[in-house]
Amino acid sequence: MDVDARIHEELTQKCGVRLAATLPDDWVAPLIRRMGADPDVRHVPVAREAEAIAICSGAFFGGVRSVAVIGATGLLTCTGEMATLNLRHQIPVFCVVSMRGSIDDQRIYQEVQGRLTIPLLQTYGFLYHVFDRPEDLASIPDAYETCRLQKRPFIAFLTRRLVKGAHA
Amino acid sequence: MKTSEAMKVLAARRGDAIVVCALGMAANEWWAETHSDDSFYMHGAMGFAASFALGLALALPTVPVWVLNADGSLCMNLGCLLTEAGQSPRNLKHFVVDNRVYQTVGAVPMVNQGAADYVGLAKAAGIPRARAINDLTALERQLPEIVAEPGPSFTVLGVEAATGFLRTPPMTYEGPEMKYRFGRALERRLGITVFGPQGY
Repeated sequence: MDVDARIHEELTQKCGVRLAATLPDDWVAPLIRRMGADPDVRHVPVAREAEAIAICSGAFFGGVRSVAVIGATGLLTCTGEMATLNLRHQIPVFCVVSMRGSIDDQRIYQEVQGRLTIPLLQTYGFLYHVFDRPEDLASIPDAYETCRLQKRPFIAFLTRRLVKGAHA
Repeated sequence: MKTSEAMKVLAARRGDAIVVCALGMAANEWWAETHSDDSFYMHGAMGFAASFALGLALALPTVPVWVLNADGSLCMNLGCLLTEAGQSPRNLKHFVVDNRVYQTVGAVPMVNQGAADYVGLAKAAGIPRARAINDLTALERQLPEIVAEPGPSFTVLGVEAATGFLRTPPMTYEGPEMKYRFGRALERRLGITVFGPQGY
């Protein structure tokens, strides 16, 4: 089973996710396609990442488990909303995010994300976990439950090695 | 029409709708009229009450959901109209209180004040059931039809701007209490499970 299929399975079968709000970057696009093809998942493509955060927050109150699937640059665009909606009201939101700007992601337009994303999350008090190898993916349900228990944003980062393979 | 008058008419026709209010004027006026805890009053994320309401509507497809948005909030997230149209939830009604100023901060004029055609934007985004209502008589006359029509629908409520700062006080609870009061109200009303067995 490929990595995207594993992530999809962990989210839907183990975590009970039934709504996915998404805006792609190229690393998470295959996962988004897979979520969109699942008839048991309500797929909500959005125009801006903060919409995905708010949609998942609304779905929480309808008793529906959800995930926001976005890129690292998109994550930087919506941390203010995550603070003033999710921290303010203690609403959990689980995000699957590409971990751009790593040492093996030598794209000039990702360099700021690589340096500042983690310190920014730490400043806000958002939780995160780095998923780097296929065997790590079995921890997704624990991460999802931790998100609910801690009642705040949780970022599940996918590394380049995980989504592209060690030799890509 | 005054915002408070429009809210009174909406409240009278609310029925079973769950209501999500944009922060500021819309939230304060709805609270003043209804004191309802099965309404969610946004305290942040300006612009994203509509997205929150969409998520709620998709999660509860048989329950009517209204969003009471404001013109300032709508302008912060015009893309929400595309997402609403893309999902086409039959149970979602989108109202926009349009007073052409940022009332909460002292009636500061809105961007492109008075020249924006929000109904045109909604229609162009793919929401054909869209209209503006600018007086109380028309609102009382048209609201039953709006309530009965399938969503998504989009209604701009043209209201008078007040002078100076928003005077209507906010709801008397906030943050985490808002979460639990709203979630528990939905659990009681709808028989759904929002919180787990340990309360989170």
